[in-house]
Amino acid sequence: MKRIALVAIAVMLALGTAAFAGTLHGKVSGVNGESVVYIEAVAGKTFPAPAQHITIDQKGLMFVPHITVAQQGATVEFLNSDSVAHNVFWPAISGNKKLGHNLGTWPQGQRKSFKFDDPGVVSLLCNVHPEMSAYVIVSPTPYFAVTDKAGEFKIDNVPDGAYTATAWHEGAKNKSNPVKVAGDTAADFTLSK
Amino acid sequence: MNGKWLSLLSASMFAGLSVLAVLSVPPKADAIPAFSRKYGTSCSTCHSDFPKLNDFGKAFKDAGFKFPKDDESFLKTPPVLLGAPAQAELWPHTIYPGSIPGTLPVGLRYNTYYQQIGANRNNFNQVLPAGTIGNFVPKSDFQPGFFSIFTAGNFGTGISWWVDDDISVAGANANGALGDGYLKFNDVSRFLKLPKDSLNLRAGQFELDLPFSQARTWNLSGWDIFSEANVGIQNGLGPAQNVSNGSKLEDAANGVEFSGGHIYQGYHYSVAVFDQNTTGVAPTAPNIGPQNGVSFNSDANFKDLYGRLVYRFNLEKDPASRNDVQAAGTMGPRDHTYLALGTIYFYGRTAQPVSGVQADGVTPTVLTAREPFYRVGGDVNFNYRNLNVFGVYVAAHDHNLLPVTAPGAAGITGFASAPAATFSGGFAEVDYLALPWAMTIMRWDQVKSSADRINFIQYNPSAPPGSSFFSPYSATRNRFTPGEQFLIHANIKASVEYQIMPQQIVYNPATGEIITGPFRTNALILGLEWVY
Repeated sequence: MKRIALVAIAVMLALGTAAFAGTLHGKVSGVNGESVVYIEAVAGKTFPAPAQHITIDQKGLMFVPHITVAQQGATVEFLNSDSVAHNVFWPAISGNKKLGHNLGTWPQGQRKSFKFDDPGVVSLLCNVHPEMSAYVIVSPTPYFAVTDKAGEFKIDNVPDGAYTATAWHEGAKNKSNPVKVAGDTAADFTLSK
Repeated sequence: MNGKWLSLLSASMFAGLSVLAVLSVPPKADAIPAFSRKYGTSCSTCHSDFPKLNDFGKAFKDAGFKFPKDDESFLKTPPVLLGAPAQAELWPHTIYPGSIPGTLPVGLRYNTYYQQIGANRNNFNQVLPAGTIGNFVPKSDFQPGFFSIFTAGNFGTGISWWVDDDISVAGANANGALGDGYLKFNDVSRFLKLPKDSLNLRAGQFELDLPFSQARTWNLSGWDIFSEANVGIQNGLGPAQNVSNGSKLEDAANGVEFSGGHIYQGYHYSVAVFDQNTTGVAPTAPNIGPQNGVSFNSDANFKDLYGRLVYRFNLEKDPASRNDVQAAGTMGPRDHTYLALGTIYFYGRTAQPVSGVQADGVTPTVLTAREPFYRVGGDVNFNYRNLNVFGVYVAAHDHNLLPVTAPGAAGITGFASAPAATFSGGFAEVDYLALPWAMTIMRWDQVKSSADRINFIQYNPSAPPGSSFFSPYSATRNRFTPGEQFLIHANIKASVEYQIMPQQIVYNPATGEIITGPFRTNALILGLEWVY
């Protein structure tokens, strides 16, 4: 009898948790191409840094992918697949020049890693190929998504609650909207340049 | 107006126009936006201050206008195949497969100038008789420059090409000319089982492998030593010269060139065999080729020779970085710290036909003075981060055959050796790339010419020459030229140069009285240039 009661409690807890985790979905309009939507920091709550590293390649004089979203504390590995020398630097993170950094030079096939502890928009550049550009969006929470080319996005497993969601698009002004997630929640953003 | 004054006026006008030409026709300078399109990369991938090449640009050029490794992986537009690569296995029973670029590799360039010349610019009009209209040099002047087209690339099998042409010069349509136009067979050494890149072959019209390209200099004005001809005359003012060598080191050559090594590290050599062109001007009527009367540039049935050898020591401590195309700096790849030492040698022979008489002293004939000449020089090039210090020294020597007339003969009967016609000089330049888009230039040019001295250049108050001149006060001409260049974008450049010119003098050709003491006609040149 006692065992049955424990199983029942566990099932109820699991169902309860599932019931409190919603989905935030919507569309980013006003711009063309991929955008990023993420939930801003939640007061009093921290999230463990993900163990899995993210790789950004330099190939054919391009950063691949062009847009990467990483959770705060994540480690990004920068690979050089080209037979020419590259470097990676960013002059600032979200305009804060003190957070600018230069990773230096490394040859083909090798990689350098960096742990992004500061949230914000990181504009990646290469100082020998000025046309090269990419972005790392460091999200303060694990709740983020990259939209498809039509601007549609979906963020799963967002606990129900009130948050601030921010939409970012290359060259556009960020837009932050308050959202109240309760189950399946919609939130649209309209960005402008 | 008597003949003396006519010649004086002509000389004055010629001199004035020469100065204008020197001031207003900057050297050609080409960067290749076609490559930017082809690879989807900025001009600054290959140029530090276009057209000045950085180390990667030098390696790109060495490789036959392609990336030194894995070129195909950088192409943004696939090439058009002129035969499947597998066709190569069928050769010689099929045409060997090649390719052409997927986009038309054409670049265009235009520049425009403003110049302001010092207050003494019209001093030479003072020698003209009252009321004579002299040559007027304006104080300030806006001038159109070159509109040029250029194309370059490779055919996918180690064969590369370059063609550039000035469609318009100084606003005059079709007043330009072909610059370089050549086909280059890169790494021919692979067929001969020689070390990689140890032998290339280039054929067509090309600038000689000068230590620093005059055709693609980044300065607003060219280096004087590369534009120095050697023309000495017999005027009784000193050692007589019978030298009419209009060739300059900067002249384009028509011929073939063997080369090897790399210009960005280690050794590099080149040996060119090319048509003699000592006229310094376009082909004249006597120089008509056998093919449908198409003219050619040779003065004589002789080929000139040019050779260059240079060794560049990359001074990076880390061997991997030292041997790579670019050095691995802590803040990213950069040009190597290096020291390059080189030498050049040019051997040619001029031919001056004159009407004379045979040994009998009576029978008319054509006599030809064949005068060998050489140019020999050395160069040094040192680079440390953004500081580039370099220089060239050249010594020139032309054999000098004076016409002689045997006693009793009706004309010239032969030639006799006389002291050679020589000149020497060079330049030293410091380029400092203060910012990726701003380069400061300090430059000093010197040319010391015995021919110049004889050509009324050296003024001797105790024995003034018999006519006026428009030339430096001394046989040694020094020019100091500070400048600054700004990249507005990677393909748009604004330049300024202040030319502190050699001293000149004006005196009364009839009396030898000095009209003006030594003076300079300094010039400020501003330029805007863009390629696209």
